[in-house]
Amino acid sequence: MRILVVEDEPKVASFIRRALEEESYAVDVCGDGLGGLDWAQTVNYDLIILDLMLPGLPGVEVLKRARAADVKTPVLILTARSEVDQRVKGLDAGADDYLTKPFAIEELLARARALLRRAGGAPTGVLQVEDLILNPVTREVTRNGQRLDMTTKEYALLEYLMRNAGRVLTRSMITEHVWDLDFDTFTNVIDVYISYLRNKIDKGRDRSLIQTVRGSGYMMRTDA
Amino acid sequence: MKNASIRVRLTLWYGLALALILSLFAVSLYLVMSRALREQVDASLEEAAAVAIRTLGEHRFGPFLIFEDLSQDFPEIALLDKFFQIFGPAGQVTIQSANIQSREIPLSQTAFRAALEGGVTFESVQFEKGVPIRLLSFPVRQGDQLVNILRVGTSLQSTERMLHRLLIGLYIASPVALLVSLAGGWFLAGRALRPVHVLTQTAQRIAAGDLTQRIQTPHSNDEIGQLASTFNDMIGRLEVSFRQIRQFSADASHELRTPLTITKGETELALRRPRQADDYRMVLESNLEEIDRMSRIVDELLFLSRADLGEIKLKMLPVQLDDLVREVQQQATVLGQDRHVTTVLNALEPVVVLGDDLRLRELLLNLVDNAVKYSCDGQTVTLSLQVVDQRVKLTVQDMGIGISPDEQTRIFDRFYRTDEARAHASKGSGLGLSICKWIVEVHKGTLSVHSQPKQGSVFTVFLPLSHASRPDLPQV
Ligand SMILES: Nc1ncnc2c1ncn2[C@@H]1O[C@H](COP(=O)(O)OP(=O)(O)O)[C@@H](O)[C@H]1O
Ligand SMILES: [Mg+2]
Repeated sequence: MRILVVEDEPKVASFIRRALEEESYAVDVCGDGLGGLDWAQTVNYDLIILDLMLPGLPGVEVLKRARAADVKTPVLILTARSEVDQRVKGLDAGADDYLTKPFAIEELLARARALLRRAGGAPTGVLQVEDLILNPVTREVTRNGQRLDMTTKEYALLEYLMRNAGRVLTRSMITEHVWDLDFDTFTNVIDVYISYLRNKIDKGRDRSLIQTVRGSGYMMRTDA
Repeated sequence: MKNASIRVRLTLWYGLALALILSLFAVSLYLVMSRALREQVDASLEEAAAVAIRTLGEHRFGPFLIFEDLSQDFPEIALLDKFFQIFGPAGQVTIQSANIQSREIPLSQTAFRAALEGGVTFESVQFEKGVPIRLLSFPVRQGDQLVNILRVGTSLQSTERMLHRLLIGLYIASPVALLVSLAGGWFLAGRALRPVHVLTQTAQRIAAGDLTQRIQTPHSNDEIGQLASTFNDMIGRLEVSFRQIRQFSADASHELRTPLTITKGETELALRRPRQADDYRMVLESNLEEIDRMSRIVDELLFLSRADLGEIKLKMLPVQLDDLVREVQQQATVLGQDRHVTTVLNALEPVVVLGDDLRLRELLLNLVDNAVKYSCDGQTVTLSLQVVDQRVKLTVQDMGIGISPDEQTRIFDRFYRTDEARAHASKGSGLGLSICKWIVEVHKGTLSVHSQPKQGSVFTVFLPLSHASRPDLPQV
């Protein structure tokens, strides 16, 4: 899952980024409205967290233009508590949810999860492929009832694969959704992480769930 | 009456006055009318008496007169609305006209006595069940001798009826007139008070919080018009200060919200799971920074609101401004050390101004702090202090980020910070220049800025020169 944070106050942007990264999301931060709009249009983000008080282009305007440019990514706006008006404008301009500053980190993460879930179309939140189960709230992964420990990157990769079970995911798609802008695409990091995952999930079992699709990428297998 | 509306009261007072006037008018009309009518009756009686005397004279007076003869000769005597009686010298009736019929109308004692002395008597009498009658008794004398008493009488019925009608007319007309004019008064009072009504309604809407409301001022410059425009002026000023207060508190809460968001967010994040000691240290350091920022904002806000309330007392004493500038220059050098921003003195004339030493230092520090803060690494800030046209001119010049022309007026507003400034230096409350402006104003000076984006800015302070620094004048 890749998230764009548009926030001009560096310290606020920084702790939001760290919190999201701890939850194994890939995070990009942009400090001004125009840049944020630009990124939102070029990268296919899974979620955008948008501060409404921005230098250059105000947040509401960024949102309007992004929606006009057919960006369908869910947007969580950050506002000040007193600015009811701003909040309404933001929601009208196409925001999916809002959070007032100062906010609790856990609430930010919960809302981000909810928005990602809604976009992923799995309302219960728990992802399941055969006997492999992933719970995004507790971040617990089990296969056949047996707990599997994951690093944050492994977890992010697995969540992305499971959300798109049955679809072939190219390396560039995986890069875009699981890694952030600092990621160097020429390395074989993805293949390395896939092999880590396979070690944990498929090794020593009858059925392998992660399949290599020759020449294009990887796919999480489904029964169908 | 106290609780009744002005409209009701006006109408009632008006009605009361009118009722008084009307009844006075009615009473005097009645009196004048009845008197005129009575006089008319008396005059006609006198006239009839004169005719009768003349006729009697031709027939010679005597105790035995025959009325039929008289009336045949002088038919005018037998007028229908009058009757005649002729009494003998002893007061007994000798003859009387036919239209008196069988009624007994004896001569009254007063009339008889008056007749003996040659006097004429008018009397009004009313018999039981009969009509009121007016009588004239007229003595007929030959020499000193009373020969006859002629009495002419007439019924007062028609006069009374006329007066009665008048009375009824007045009884009906007065209340009707009163009612009509009460209604008119009610209407007029309502019309006169309508602007007041409009005023009240507007005031109520304003009281409900809508300060954009204004009263439609009538074109006239009458009392109500003046009241309305006074009222509008007042609301206008209220609206401005309300807007300022609202803007100010919105800005204040926004500026405080950012450090709050940071401290809360960073602390919560740190507490989510166990971390290295270094991580905690970083969070604490960052939080301390934010706490400093908040306390500075709170201090500055407190200062400004006390300044607004006029609670800040200044000690106005002669201040050696060049010493102050030198001190501040040294502090600025420390401020700019990290970023290699140097602060130099250009011109420095010895100058004394009358002012508050602490506040003037604060003014200088704020300006120099801005200049250093909004300079780019390695640039120079220049200070100068001169006397120009008998005024003290102090300039703080930098070559930093500058300010666009349309923002140059707004930077003196509370909390206003340009986007460039926010991007360049995250520290700052946007209150410094508001404080500077206040300090300069209480010292009866001026503060202005000349700036070009990316070229730098010059802040210029003019202050009045104290006598002490003018050698041609004796020191105070
Ligand atoms: N020397 C300067 N160069 C450029 N901009 C300046 C300078 N001084 C003040 N400003 C502008 O005026 C604003 C208000 O200044 P001030 O009230 O001192 O607030 P602060 O220093 O906290 O930002 C600043 O945010 C900045 O935009
Ligand atoms: Mg300042």
